[in-house]
Amino acid sequence: MVESAVRTSADWLRYITSLPGVPGQEDAVARELMKAFGTVADKVERDRMGSVYGWIHGVGKAPRPRALLAAHMDKIGFLVRAIEPGGYLRVTEVGGFDSRTLPGKEVMIHSRPPMVAVFATRPPHLQKKGEADRPIQLEDLYLDTGRGEGEVRRKVPVGTMVTLRQSPVQLLGDRLAAPGMDDRAGVVVLLRTLELLRSKRPSWDVVAVATVEEEFGVVCLGARTAAENLCPDLGIAIDVSHGDMPGARDGDTVPLGSGPALSIGGNIHPAILEALKASAKALSMPYRVEPCPTGSGTDAMDIQISSSGVPTAVVGIPCRYMHTGVETVEPRDVDRCAYLLAHYLSELSLEWRSVEVLK
Amino acid sequence: MSANGAPKFREDILEAISNAPGVSGGEEAIRNLLAEYARDKVDSLEVDPMGSLVARIDPTPARRKAGGRRGPHVMLCAHMDEVGIMVTAVEKEGRLRFRRVGGIDPRILPGQVFRVGAGGLRGVVGALPPHLTPRNERDRVTAADDLYLDIGARSREEAEERVPVGTYAVFDTTYEAWGTTRKGKAFDDRAGCAVLASLIQRRPPVPVTAVWSVQEEVGLRGATAAARRVQPDVAIVLEGTASGEAPGAPPDEQSPFMGKGPALTVHDRTLMVHARLLSRIEETAKRHKVPTQWKRPGVGGTDAGRIAISGAGVPSAVVSVVCRYIHAPAAYLDVRDAQRTVTLIWHTLETLRKEWP
Repeated sequence: MVESAVRTSADWLRYITSLPGVPGQEDAVARELMKAFGTVADKVERDRMGSVYGWIHGVGKAPRPRALLAAHMDKIGFLVRAIEPGGYLRVTEVGGFDSRTLPGKEVMIHSRPPMVAVFATRPPHLQKKGEADRPIQLEDLYLDTGRGEGEVRRKVPVGTMVTLRQSPVQLLGDRLAAPGMDDRAGVVVLLRTLELLRSKRPSWDVVAVATVEEEFGVVCLGARTAAENLCPDLGIAIDVSHGDMPGARDGDTVPLGSGPALSIGGNIHPAILEALKASAKALSMPYRVEPCPTGSGTDAMDIQISSSGVPTAVVGIPCRYMHTGVETVEPRDVDRCAYLLAHYLSELSLEWRSVEVLK
Repeated sequence: MSANGAPKFREDILEAISNAPGVSGGEEAIRNLLAEYARDKVDSLEVDPMGSLVARIDPTPARRKAGGRRGPHVMLCAHMDEVGIMVTAVEKEGRLRFRRVGGIDPRILPGQVFRVGAGGLRGVVGALPPHLTPRNERDRVTAADDLYLDIGARSREEAEERVPVGTYAVFDTTYEAWGTTRKGKAFDDRAGCAVLASLIQRRPPVPVTAVWSVQEEVGLRGATAAARRVQPDVAIVLEGTASGEAPGAPPDEQSPFMGKGPALTVHDRTLMVHARLLSRIEETAKRHKVPTQWKRPGVGGTDAGRIAISGAGVPSAVVSVVCRYIHAPAAYLDVRDAQRTVTLIWHTLETLRKEWP
């Protein structure tokens, strides 16, 4: 399809962040991703847990080794927990918000038909003394749809998905802010990488997987099950990295616009990291090394310990204000991650092995 | 909903002025829009020295010639300004520091999107991700003065060029409608502004001076000066007031309610409403079957507080469209209440023509 060829990363980001999909309710985004992957992959499939696979067949002699790229397609949100008299809704979160970023924000309730609502706030005129000095906890927040209780009870069952409603905000320097950059920006990297690999055929097979349920918190379910399914010879997670912002310490963040953030630590196989750095150098591309001393907190955590162990790495897209409605990335960084991965993957030799035979 | 012989509420005006920016002290965009809606309908139209828009409109010549009572000169007033923020400094990394203009709960700011200045520029209020926030920090409200606006600029120079210090910014909210609910920003007091603009689409029964005032949210300032210029016999302030509705709130704190008609003020922090004028409004509501309710007494304050004490004193009242979530990014109102308010004020003017005081 011609469509994908003319879509820039910014176009893809605007589109894909707009799709709903809290952990466990990724069907709508998965359907759209099947179509999007279909424009760039040799084969598209969806596994039994719901993750979407886009294949690029390698040109090496079969049986070929297999690289797994993973980015999670779920985004944090809420589920309706209770309906109060008056039709007000209480919610529970899926994925971790700071409830201090929620009062006054608009949401979309994904009922049929969908409904707009707001996290209600008491105007200063009616507040009790000192009220504004205390944060409002999620259990005390509620949603107001501006509709009657009867209609709400008929149309919004408990368990209905709710997401922050914020259309992408265009900032200066091409920067874009939207809820769900974590990790739809990573999904866009998958799309762009597949697009590049189509012409730049690697020796290996490459499977780009848009995973489910990364944000649920117990286990990166989609990544683990996809890795068990595919038995990859290496795995790379693409996720967002904390961007530079006031209040964060050096070492915890990478500047926006500074190129891919390459994680280092126990979750990262040193040889892949070195090869990614070499690719960045070959492309004269800026990059940062992001220390992950106790783990990367990404799909790579579960890919690494799948089957009998998989060598893994993490490529990060710098992103400010993670887990708010204004997650901010620079599309240029998304492009760079894709170019880096395409270069690295197309350079992979059929002889590359992660198991070191010492004797 | 039937206008019951009164002018029709012009929702198109509400939509246009709700979407436009007008923080206290920077009301030009609202004033320009309202002037266009008023220009062909009024006898005179002026911008006063503070920036308030003042329109004089008299009864039809036929009615004047009929020799009947001229009726009192009524000032109808609604404030154009809304709460927002002003950029006060540009930092070296290109981030903007800001101060609040008017009463904004600091807790609604983190993660909020603002429209900055008159162009299409957007900015976001950054918030540290929960991953990087120490547990005990989350029990603390971040002071508004510690927050900043990120417009995507990479340097001070880039930011300063686009956003000079002193630039206003407003909540980035778009007007929407479903059922009888309307969602938008600045319904306090664009609701009142639109009610007033709807009323003057037809020649009123008494001489009316319509004042769309400035700087209400920073101390009822525009109306203070305008009232001295207008010197009315009677004043009615049109407001968008706060509903107290909330799950679990005690019944006495829930009122007034969205959708249950105009809210009448008995007294607030700035005004004891003129008793005879208030009973006139109540009687008119009953006669014309307009449902009304009481605004929660003793809370808030409006331009009426200043108008009432100007000159030798002006009998004043406040009639409000009840809104949920005023001073927050997205407020709600019931469009039926807006029409009811137009209807109630129109018929009140008619009774004032027949008899006042």
